[in-house]
Amino acid sequence: MTAARFDELIHPSTRLTLVATLAAADWAEFGYLRERLNLSDSALSKQLATLEDAGYVATERRLDGSRHRLRARLTDRGREAFEGHVAALRQIVAGGDPAKVSP
Amino acid sequence: MAERIAPDEAREALAAVTGARERMAAEVGLPRLYWWGMAAGWLVLGVAGDVAPEWLAAVATLLFGAGHSTVASRLLDGRQRTGDVRVSAAVAGRRTPLVVIGMLLALVALTVAAALALDADGTGHPAIWAAAIIAVLVGFGGPEILRVLRRAVRA
Repeated sequence: MTAARFDELIHPSTRLTLVATLAAADWAEFGYLRERLNLSDSALSKQLATLEDAGYVATERRLDGSRHRLRARLTDRGREAFEGHVAALRQIVAGGDPAKVSP
Repeated sequence: MAERIAPDEAREALAAVTGARERMAAEVGLPRLYWWGMAAGWLVLGVAGDVAPEWLAAVATLLFGAGHSTVASRLLDGRQRTGDVRVSAAVAGRRTPLVVIGMLLALVALTVAAALALDADGTGHPAIWAAAIIAVLVGFGGPEILRVLRRAVRA
């Protein structure tokens, strides 16, 4: 069972949806994520870069014909953080110890 | 500084997580090309069964079966309907291949039943007409039929 651990990096709504989407997939293309999350290219790039810097997401550039495509996936560390965050949210809803956002 | 997270906010966040997972689950399915290929194969087999010699119909059936097995081994888990995303095994579940196979067997039975009904009605080339009807059903409605069946069996 995953230990509940509130994750401040994941919690903002856009990032949470992005991580939750990636958690339900092996990988997703940049264009797919942009469309699903209704984000601009730059906004999605920024979110992915933040998650990649934290080691939560890995991206891979692939050549598809003449076009470069970016594929993103959640790392093991990212998946663990996401599951811990979801467990923390459930604990809060259930009336357990309130989560605290670390400084 | 530490900040409390309200239960309502946590509930909303969990709803967002559930929504993201459900949207990904809706991606489970087979490529549109698979369904059109299946429809074309159905039609070819219908024609072969009606007008071609028996040996040719048997060869066509074997080729169709072999071709489907090759494609199915890569696609039937339903995790990569498009090239944009690959759904995780946990979200896709393990029943999708069984649902597809069950659906195909039901369509075979439906084809035979339609051909018998058309034959009894005196329609010329009943096997071709029955195959054409099912081919249209598979080509246009395959993804939707699979979606409904998956939901019905909670695959």
